[in-house]
Amino acid sequence: MVSLGMQSLGNQFHIHLLGDHAILIKLSKGLNGGIDRDLLALAAFIKEQKIQGIKDIILAYDNLTLVYDILDFDSNPYLYVNQLVCNFIAEASNHIALNNASRLIEVPVCYDPSLGIDLEAAAKIANCNIEALIQEHTAHIYTVYCLGFLPGFAYMGDVPKKIQLPRHPQPRATVVAGSVGIAGKQTGIYPMDSPGGWQIIGRTPLKIFDTIKLSLFKAGDQVKFNPIDLALFHELNNQENVY
Amino acid sequence: MSIKIIKKGLSDRIVDQGRFGFQDLGIQPSGPMDFLSAQLANIILGNALNHPVFELHFPASTFEFQEPMHICISGANFVPVINEKSIALNTPIQVYPQDQLSFLQPLEGRSAYMAFKGELDENKKWLNSYTSFQTTLKKEDHFSIKPVSLCDGLVNSVEHDLVQQVQKTLFNEHEIRFIPGPAWNDLTPVSIQVLMHQSFTIDAKSNRMGFLLEGTPIHLTEPKQYVSSAVTMGTLQLLPNGQIIVLMADHQTIGGYANLGQIILVDLPRLAQLNNHSHFKLSITNVQTAHQLYRSIQSWFIH
Repeated sequence: MVSLGMQSLGNQFHIHLLGDHAILIKLSKGLNGGIDRDLLALAAFIKEQKIQGIKDIILAYDNLTLVYDILDFDSNPYLYVNQLVCNFIAEASNHIALNNASRLIEVPVCYDPSLGIDLEAAAKIANCNIEALIQEHTAHIYTVYCLGFLPGFAYMGDVPKKIQLPRHPQPRATVVAGSVGIAGKQTGIYPMDSPGGWQIIGRTPLKIFDTIKLSLFKAGDQVKFNPIDLALFHELNNQENVY
Repeated sequence: MSIKIIKKGLSDRIVDQGRFGFQDLGIQPSGPMDFLSAQLANIILGNALNHPVFELHFPASTFEFQEPMHICISGANFVPVINEKSIALNTPIQVYPQDQLSFLQPLEGRSAYMAFKGELDENKKWLNSYTSFQTTLKKEDHFSIKPVSLCDGLVNSVEHDLVQQVQKTLFNEHEIRFIPGPAWNDLTPVSIQVLMHQSFTIDAKSNRMGFLLEGTPIHLTEPKQYVSSAVTMGTLQLLPNGQIIVLMADHQTIGGYANLGQIILVDLPRLAQLNNHSHFKLSITNVQTAHQLYRSIQSWFIH
């Protein structure tokens, strides 16, 4: 059950044109820890309608972008989206049960310095020992704020202040797929080998992206990291482990 | 085997008109740099507008055909030759087994498109059509294509006018139009003047991900952190050093830099055909005009 305390549209959302084929809906109150449930519900509401001409629905932090096909939009896109949001508010107050309970995804991570190649240096920066850093990273439940940078790359937050780490000034040419990193308030997993500047503290044996199942994560998911040892990592890593 | 690469080009690949619906997973739609030329090459062969085509950049790959089929090359003029004999652009060309297609010099434009009349083996669908997961074409790559014969009379039905209209749209000196974005009002008045009047140069580091613009640095009235949100092809992002980058076909799905605006769809093909070191000016338009222009361009392709 979600209660939507929306009194009037103006108080809740700003609608902004993004050029001639996208439109941005932004929460006027901004980001306030986690992804706003109303925004998640709005994204689900728009998805459910399968509106002809809406090509992409992209959720990120405190905003939602609709990419549309001009040929399918005869009307003013601003007015159209305004109406869409009004419909959502009306619908939501009629039958409150918009099903948007977020999933909790548990991710096994091996925090061994052989895989978490920055772990030792990171502990020094955080002014603690490795065990304390792992304890901090695994004790919290993170929210997926958006996906980007690479297919399946989930930006999760918020990392506890104590273990927030700066990016490497010079990104590495290759970070191995599955590497778990921290950059400032965010933590994330590299879905494939790629260049990257985040501090790498561990690696998951899970394959978080493939071209058939696509992404393990979506915006709004809750994520918990569970520590595993090197033996279990190798065992899981050798399996055809899809999620 | 129907088409084989016998010499590697700089950065050639297969594209369709882009795969939307996955940007929420961080997967960019990709698609062609110049959608208009890709559509033109397809329509000349009687293909669906969204049919896969080869996108070529100079120096382009050399192709060898293994079955008789029809092809059509549109967009940039790299002086295409078959077995060293020059062939026309924007015209169906019959090729035969062992024919070799190569490109001699970059006369005009940045991206050329080669359409083919036939069905591409879809088993490699991900690799072939999602440029996100595709590496550029290399020597010995081959594509299984089931040739389809050209409809009789089709060539005549494609009007000469259409080719002329597309060429005029692509290759001219007009300003590139954009619609101001969420961070527009955060610019200093001086920077707005600079944006509206200066001639920007396309930096040599530009590629399918984005065109980096050289020019007088642009500034915000005060430093500001923006919450990341989705970006599109044509988004003008202001980098912290005051430079602008225009996001192109292989842009990331999400951006956190100041979003100054979006270049309108109809002007993207023209921008995409500009080579490094060429210049252009920006001007402001509105969404109504942009939609009208886009509808009018797409109506060229409806018979």
